[in-house]
Amino acid sequence: MNISESLNLEAAFAQAEADAQIRRALEQNAQRFAAAQLPNRYNEDWRFGKPAQFAEELAEMLAAREPVQAAIRIESGDGVHAERISPRDEDLKETLQLMPTIGSDYFLGLHVERFGTGCCIMLEPGAVVENPIVITYEVGAGLYTPSTFIMAGAGAKARIIEKHICRDGAAIFCARSIQLAEGADIAVELHESGAGVSKAFNITNIQSLGGHIRHLTMHNGHAWAREETVAEIAEADARGEIRLYSANKLSGRSVLDQHTKQVHHTGGAFSDLLYKNVVDDQATAIFAGNIYVAPAAHDTDAYQANRNMLLSEKAGIHSLPGLEILADRVKCSHGSASSPMDEEQLFYLTSRGVARRQAQLLVAEGFLSDVVNHFKQVDGAKELDMSSGN
Amino acid sequence: MDDSTFQIDTRGEFAFPENHRFDAGYGLTDETIDYICDAKGEPDWVRRFRKDALKQFREMPMPTHWAPKEINALDFDKIRYYLAHGTAPYKDWEEVPEDVKRTFERLGVPEQERAFLAGVDAQYDSETAYNNMREELSKQGVIFVNSTEGLRDYEHIFRPWFGKVIPVNDNKFSALNHAAFSGGSFIYVPKGVKLNQPLQAYFRINSESMGQFERTLIIADEGAELMYMEGCTAPKYDSATLHSGVVELVALKGAKIQYVTVQNWATNVYNLVIQRGLAMEDAEIRWIDCNIGSGVTMKYPAVVLKGRRARGEVVSISLAHSGQLQDTGARMIHAAPETTSNIVAKSISIGEGRASYRGEVNILKGMKGCKNNTECDALLINHNSRTDTYPAISVHGNASAVQHEASVSQVDEEMLFYMQQRGLTRAQAMSLAVNGFINDLVQEFPMEYSVELRRLIDLQMEDSIG
Repeated sequence: MNISESLNLEAAFAQAEADAQIRRALEQNAQRFAAAQLPNRYNEDWRFGKPAQFAEELAEMLAAREPVQAAIRIESGDGVHAERISPRDEDLKETLQLMPTIGSDYFLGLHVERFGTGCCIMLEPGAVVENPIVITYEVGAGLYTPSTFIMAGAGAKARIIEKHICRDGAAIFCARSIQLAEGADIAVELHESGAGVSKAFNITNIQSLGGHIRHLTMHNGHAWAREETVAEIAEADARGEIRLYSANKLSGRSVLDQHTKQVHHTGGAFSDLLYKNVVDDQATAIFAGNIYVAPAAHDTDAYQANRNMLLSEKAGIHSLPGLEILADRVKCSHGSASSPMDEEQLFYLTSRGVARRQAQLLVAEGFLSDVVNHFKQVDGAKELDMSSGN
Repeated sequence: MDDSTFQIDTRGEFAFPENHRFDAGYGLTDETIDYICDAKGEPDWVRRFRKDALKQFREMPMPTHWAPKEINALDFDKIRYYLAHGTAPYKDWEEVPEDVKRTFERLGVPEQERAFLAGVDAQYDSETAYNNMREELSKQGVIFVNSTEGLRDYEHIFRPWFGKVIPVNDNKFSALNHAAFSGGSFIYVPKGVKLNQPLQAYFRINSESMGQFERTLIIADEGAELMYMEGCTAPKYDSATLHSGVVELVALKGAKIQYVTVQNWATNVYNLVIQRGLAMEDAEIRWIDCNIGSGVTMKYPAVVLKGRRARGEVVSISLAHSGQLQDTGARMIHAAPETTSNIVAKSISIGEGRASYRGEVNILKGMKGCKNNTECDALLINHNSRTDTYPAISVHGNASAVQHEASVSQVDEEMLFYMQQRGLTRAQAMSLAVNGFINDLVQEFPMEYSVELRRLIDLQMEDSIG
């Protein structure tokens, strides 16, 4: 046997071993989905999320399998492979099956059963995409269950905008997997817009293998929306950087239920989170975050902040910022603050002739635009903070 | 520190022979309750009350969906629910049996301190063994008795509030305590009486697999003020021991209650205590809580702010050594307008210890002008230590402000290097740094406790670093 043959054999063995690992993981997952139950009030990840109402409504919609009217549009550029996925994309389906959730294994299982629609964006290694890549899912009726895959090759740079648009009564349940290779640097925006009694549910998994990501979600108009975002600094990745942002204005009786997990499997990496909500009328915002630093992930920096502005007497927020630290030499902090709008700021604006209602809108906008500034230009926002601090 | 005069084996690795006049055996049944009631000579309503609570205890589920899974190891049938020396508490120190005195000496209750303390209600096993109230206290109309006496002799005062702050069906362990309670203190301070000396009780477990279900109810009438101190140590045993107390505080209009606990049970003790206070108009309740011992602690002192301008505060220190889980925290329920609350919690994890903060702040619907501030800081000493923070904050309406901050950090290597360079050993330097970390909280404790606390931390540091 010559050298190249033996190398081939080794590669074949390695491939076989990797396949076997995936198979084992998938077998365990089959049990995970089989054992998963419809979230109820004993499911801590659905605390304050009214599972008896919203989880059951979603389960009913999934079971009903009403006809769906939905459209996918993709705008992409050079160095990008953007494709609609088909039910035959087994490897993508496997990725989906292995995704973690925050209390919704039951729903992910049902989503996997409906696998076969959505889109996959692959950025070639080193590709620098100038114009934003835009994915749009538009739902006219029924419950649409697409999956989005974003895979950024080493050193790739791009901005990706994902838009979910639901008409009144329609709903979207999207599973999203984002993977970053070393040196990739991407910005992902998720715009959720709904009308009337529309609903949205996103299960997102971000895996950084040494890449940087900024991820922003903005919600507007859904009656109910839930988000589960698990952002992982993968093993053997010391240079990863994950920044999660969210800015939302809620009104009417809408409910936004956001859950995040910043998971550090390896030390030396960085993650940050800033979620801000302006809550008006009888709306409710729920934020439950968690930073998990695994036993060996020393020298981790991880931060988490949730800020809420309450505008009406019947508005409500629930904030559960959690930390689980099992490693040493870690810098971790979290903060949560909830307060009414600053009267002094309103007074300043009204004294300059701005009507009170208009002034409120301006202050709320300023409160949220801070998040967008952070997302758009991290350094610029930092400088701004420093100068205002001085 | 080397110059420490601390000689007492506070980690409780000692025990004296057991010699009990009453022993209800293992497990909790209707017969056990009859035995407890007969031994204590309790009125019929208490017997019915206990049996009803037992029924609810059996029906209620364990709080496993959120609680640390360690509590699943509890076996309720392997616990003795009542042990006592007798029904009448000893009034005079001279009458206290020798072996009990010996235990107290090991615990380090100094002779002069006993004389100094306003009234010592020292609990030995399930029954009060020593209860010496100063005449001055009774002249002021203060009632300071154990639970049996409280419900028997002062039913008109205590019954209206008994089980009102923490109802039977609040949770499984509340029901358990309502069924099996014995010992504890019942205190009533009349209108306008301000006690300038703290009331104090020492608790002690001295029998293997024996649950201690102490029951404390403190009522401060309008404008009254008091401080109550409670400290615990227990000997080390092989099998699990359960301590599941219920402490209810009632601060009526303008009253102030401070409740101080230093807990240092042996590491095989499950310390699952429910502490809750009700603060009426302009009243103030402060929980000052320090958890050093026990294997599993679950303790979240709470204040229900029921009257306008009421104020609640929790100051909490916990130290988790290898093999320990300190799941502590605080709860603040703002049920009236203009109420304020403050939570300051600091935890230290040493070795494989795990310290968790679990808290709840709730500003109920329609409440205006409420404020809460929460700070939790955690210090990790070794590379395999663990710390968690699980706060839950709910705010309704646009007229209240709530802020929460938490941070996790280590002892600065440069700081240790500086101290070692000046001749301190690493353990001493670490101990100094840890004492510095909690310094501002230790100052909240009464003097003798803060001294004891610093010594305990020294001891723990020496064990883990030295």
